[in-house]
Order: sequence, then C-alpha cells, then structure tokens
Amino acid sequence: MKDIALSLAGLGRKKLRTGLLVFAVFIAFLIYAVLAAFSSALTAAAGSSSGDRLTVSNKINFTQSLPLAYVNRVSTIEGVRDLSYSMWFGGYFQEQRNFLIAFAVEPESYTRIYKEYVAPPEQVKAFIENRDSVMVGRAVADRFGWKLGQQIPLSSNIWTRNDGTNVYPVIVRAIFDGATAQTSTDLLFIPYEYFDEARAFANDQIGNIHVVTPGSEQNDRIINEIDTLFANSRAETRTTTEEAFNAAFVDQQGNIGLILLGVMGAAFVTILLIVGNAMAGAIRERTGEIAVMKTVGFTSSRIAGIVIGETLLIALIGGLLGVAISWFLISFARSFGQFFGAMALTPGIILSALGLMVLLGILTGAIPAWNAMRVNVITAFRRI
Amino acid sequence: MTSLFSQIVAVVKMTIAGLPSRFWASITTIVSIALVVATLLAFLAMATGFARTVAGTGQPDIAMIIGTGSGAEINSGFSAEAARLLEEAPGIKRGADGKPMVSPEVYVVVDAMRKVGGSPSNISLRGVTSGAMAMREGFHITEGRMFEPGTNELMVGVGVLREFTGFELNREITFGASKWKVVGAFEVPGTVFDSEIWADLPVVQTLFNRGNAIQSMRARLERPGDLEGINTLVKNDPRLRVDIQTERDYFANEAEALQVLVIFGWVLAGTLALGALAGALNTMYAAVEARTKELATLRAIGFGGIPAFFGAMTESIVLAAAGGLLGGLVAYLIFNGVSASTLGGNFTQVVFKFTLGPQQLLAGLSMALVLGVIGGFFPALRAARTPLLKIGAE
Repeated sequence: MKDIALSLAGLGRKKLRTGLLVFAVFIAFLIYAVLAAFSSALTAAAGSSSGDRLTVSNKINFTQSLPLAYVNRVSTIEGVRDLSYSMWFGGYFQEQRNFLIAFAVEPESYTRIYKEYVAPPEQVKAFIENRDSVMVGRAVADRFGWKLGQQIPLSSNIWTRNDGTNVYPVIVRAIFDGATAQTSTDLLFIPYEYFDEARAFANDQIGNIHVVTPGSEQNDRIINEIDTLFANSRAETRTTTEEAFNAAFVDQQGNIGLILLGVMGAAFVTILLIVGNAMAGAIRERTGEIAVMKTVGFTSSRIAGIVIGETLLIALIGGLLGVAISWFLISFARSFGQFFGAMALTPGIILSALGLMVLLGILTGAIPAWNAMRVNVITAFRRI
Repeated sequence: MTSLFSQIVAVVKMTIAGLPSRFWASITTIVSIALVVATLLAFLAMATGFARTVAGTGQPDIAMIIGTGSGAEINSGFSAEAARLLEEAPGIKRGADGKPMVSPEVYVVVDAMRKVGGSPSNISLRGVTSGAMAMREGFHITEGRMFEPGTNELMVGVGVLREFTGFELNREITFGASKWKVVGAFEVPGTVFDSEIWADLPVVQTLFNRGNAIQSMRARLERPGDLEGINTLVKNDPRLRVDIQTERDYFANEAEALQVLVIFGWVLAGTLALGALAGALNTMYAAVEARTKELATLRAIGFGGIPAFFGAMTESIVLAAAGGLLGGLVAYLIFNGVSASTLGGNFTQVVFKFTLGPQQLLAGLSMALVLGVIGGFFPALRAARTPLLKIGAE
C-alpha cells in the first residue's frame, strides 16, 4: 500500500511530465481501440458467418452463376439439414452512387437460416408472402429514411427487365436489426421469384447456395460430396465454409489487416520510446533519493517495484482513458451507418488493450527500474 | 541588432554542440517523428500508386461505350447488332483498311491465387479482337506470342504474373469446364490492363455461354473528347441502350476509389503525431531544464531572452527535420515501387505500385517541421524566461 503511495508521489513530482506521458499513452490506446473495432467491422462487412453453414459457388469465380436446378440436387445429399439460395442484385437507389448491398433470395428458407437478421415475426411473414417486397437492414433504412409500407424504386445496374427498364418497385415489408453489434445491417433482400420473372436474361440462374450442416465435423464430407456431384458438368462448383468464403472476400481488398497492424505497431513503438526515455531521465534525477531509501532499508527489488508501479500507473491511466474515449468515437462512427455501422468495442478488444497496458507499463519501467536497483549508495552520496 | 544576431548565432551553436550530451532523448524525438512521417507516407504511397495506374489508363481520344445504367464494364451488356450499328457512328476514326477502329469486348471474372496468402481473388479475363491492341497505347508482348484467334489460348498481363500464381508461360489452365493454354505475356505500361488476362472474343463468348452479346466497346475518335457523332446516333435509335463517355472520364471516376485512404492516412498520422508531440515537448522541457544553469549564466553575462528562445527552437526544429528526413527515407526505401493489388471499380484486382513522389515526401517533411515548431515553442518560452537567480541551480 505504502509502495503505491510512493509511486503516486513519484508521478506527482513533475505534473507536466506525467501529464504529457499519460497523454502519449492515451493516444496509443485510442488508435489501438478504434483500429481494432475497424478491423472487426471489416470482417463483419463480408457478411455474417456460422460454423455450420457452407457456401456453394461457381468454381470459375463466385460472380459466375449456377443453375437453379442445383438447389434440389444439393438438398438430396445426406446431412444437408436446410438450404437456401441468393443472387447479387447490383442494387442502387435513384443514383449510382447510392450503392446498395442487395440480394435476391428465396425468402422463406433464407430468413429461416439467417437468424442473425432479426425482425418482428409478422414483418418477416409479410416479406415472405408478398412478391414485390423488400426486407431492409436497419442501417440502410436509417440512411434513406425508409419506413414500413413505403414503396421503393430499386434500381439494378446489371439486371435489365423485360420491359427494358432497370427499376424494380418494391414495398418495405420488414426492417431487420442485427443479433449482435457486429452483425452488419447494411444490406437488403428481395424475393428471388419476383426478381427472376422480371429480368430479361439469365433466368433460372442463381449466385450462391447456402447449406446448413449438422455441425463443423461433417463439413468436409459434405463439401466433398457437393463438389463431386457437379464435377465435369457445365457449371462446376466450389463449396467452402461460410467463414472461409467471407475471409477470402475480405482478402480481395489486399492486406488491409497487415497495414492496420503496421500502424498499431508504429504507435506502440513510438509511445514505448517516449515513456521509457522520460522515465529513465526521471530515475536519473532521483539517484540521490534512491540512495537515501536504500540506506534506510528499502531493498533493491522494492525500489524496482515502485519504479515499475509508476510506469504501470501511467500506462493504465492513459490506456483506460484511451479506451473510454474510443467508445465515444466508435459510437460516433457507427452513426454514419453503412460499413461503419458494424464497428464495435468488443470485450476481446478491451481485454487485449488491458494486456497491452500491463505490458507497456512493465517494458517502459524495466530499464529505469534496473538503473534504480544498481544505484550504489556510496558513489551516490559522494556526488552530493 | 548585430549584437542580438551574433548572440543568437552563439546560442544556436552552443545548443547544436550540446546535442550529443542528450543523445538518447534526441534519438527518441527523431525516431518517434520518423514513425509518424512513415505512417503518413505509407498511406499516401498506396493512394498515389493506385490513382496513377487507374487514371493513367484512360485516353481522351477513345470512346467507352457500356450498357445504360451499368456504370462499369462488369455489369454491362448489349447485343452484337447494337455494336454493329454503333461502329458506323460519325466521329469514329477509320484505319488504313478503311474500317472503323473499334474494339468490342467481353469481360469475365475468374479466380486467381495470390502469391502471398493464397486466397482466391477476382481477375478479369477479357475477350478481345485484333482491334483491342490498337486501343491500348504502348501495348507490347514481353514473352511468348499473341493468342491464335479461334483457339483456347491466353495471354497474361505482367501485373497478373507479378502478384498471382498459376499463369506462367505454357501452363494449362482450367476455368470451370473449359481448358486454356498460356502462350504469351503482355504489358501496357502503367495501366490496369496489366492486371488482366486476354483471349479471343468469340472463344470466350462460346466457352462462357455469352452468346454473341458483348459488354463494352471502345472506339478511337477522330477528335479527342468529341462524342457528339455517337451521342446523336444513340439518341435517335431506340435500339441503342448505351452510355457513352471518354475512356479518360470512365477511369477518372474509378481512380477516386482509394482517395479515402489519403484522408485515413492524414487522420491516423495526425493522431499519432499528437502522441509524438507530447514526447517531443517532454524531451524539450527536460533539455531546457538540464541547461538551466547554462541559460542563467548567459543572462548574467548580458545575453537577452531572445537568443535563448532561438536556441531551444533550433534544437527542436533540427531534431524534427532529422526525424522527417529519416521517416521519408525509410518510407521511400520500404514502400516505393512495392507491388500490391486491391479490388478496383470493376470488382476485379488492380495491380499497382506504391508511389512516393516529391509531393508526398514534402507533405511528410512539412508535418515533421510543424511538429518541431510546436514542440519547441513552449519549452523555448521557458528558456527565454530563465531567471538570473537560477545560476546556482543544481
């Protein structure tokens, strides 16, 4: 207890220096928490995933289509508990720059499988039972101010209709939220049948089949059976777990993860240098004092503890402040919706930040503590 | 005035001479500022490299024709009949053979494995006719030969070879049920076409079930930027449901895609700079404090506060400039010319090189100098106000 008081007294001795160091640590953890939340949103943006779901796509590339007839054939494979299908709609609202992540899906099975898109049962029912309907994510609805029952002229930059236009009028039947904060709600769904009847070409073609398996232990066998079933056909398939599919999608952006890691690394090395250097200076100033403490019976290890206590306090105060402020920043970023809507300060991020604070405190205190331990009473007093 | 100037010179000289005695503190400031500058330059290099490649692709004397409302080649589609009507539009240049210089093309997305990481990525396979080469300034074969029309032969852009595996010369490649052979590599320097694979148009149409539909048509214009002839034709013929712009305008929009990185880089580096600034202030205050006795002595022998101010300012700015130069040099050595690829506007990979020009390096150095000025100002004020009585300080 007394040692903590001594650590605090050490910090109070030069308030400006302590303040500047706490601020530097604060900046490092602010950057850390915001980038970590950003990184988790990046993964979420690729779509939600679950260990017992597989994605079947065309082997050439996932943007190539598959025949609708494949759905029935996949459903006969042993262990396939449920399945649905979807196709990329290429949607936008009024102008090309109002880009929408929109899919045409088989409504009944899709809403049954993707339980992470949560909407009131009567709204889901209305979405399933009506042809010209759309189920909209909260982020999209908020961005454009869409209300239940409102008619939306949804445009597609790919699928020209039989009548030569590109507009599919739909009515908002359901608005869904995410089951967790990391579930992206920046997307929307329209019924496949309505879409397929209206479009001028590629009828009875779908993009992906979504398969539910009994669990991850059977995934490999089922993946194998699906791909074997369509081997040597006109449209061969590549089946992967949903997680692998989404991870590959994020990878398409290039090594963003690596870049973020580089920036976090730069931030921490900077702060490590600054705090470590300042603390080394602080201990050098106190050589005489440490000699006195040793004379009155403080052991070297206890003195080292007090020094590390000081750097730990700096790291914890600055770090906790940084994480706290990042919470406000992240909430602010979330209000922009779209991609940022899935940013979240998860327990995992907070825990790893705490671990880093302790590590930073110990690392920056190590050399000054070592110097303090080596203070020789005789030589120190001779200097005074 | 002359005496003030010579006083300033004397104090600045003394400060610089004293730098080695504060070696570790000075190194800390230099390295932390260098890290901030390098972070900024990493983002600027990426954004600049991508924008140069994409914007460098578009030519003002080529008309880019895609389906109405599609926005990009990947979503576009129109019939061979429409293409034939468009060929005859006024304003399109004719070649030596008297035929209009046009290039109908299809655009298929296929998978390629990245050399690093090994996950499948989208690559564009473009079906082209002999007209395509005439639309690309600087097109040349770097290895092997052109594909033979009517066969399952491919040629691969040098960017694809750099970033992805499986497309080496003479390799057999399978896309779904169709088999292909790589017979050559080509380059259109500094453009997105280097990130593509090219094959014969009718073969691609057949093997990928495209019928005789095409996705885009390029046409060389008689006068750069003059689209009036084609526009008039399209306006008067309801069968032609296409959008027309110059190739330059088409790619200018796409080049904007990574500009958000510039903002991101400045915000991140700016935040990081605040942390480094706290460190620099700390170091400078400590330096001024360590020299209290020296500064007070100067006061005693008749020096004013202004030379002391300049002394501290100079120290801070010299350290920051050293940090800025170090950061710029390191960023240049590490990032400049590094090949990378990311998703472009057509939902396929664009291979580009990180580019650091004088403009970017200057931005990094300016940031370092701003940090030096702010980080030196307040400690310098304190130095200028050192009281004479501190001459007895420890």
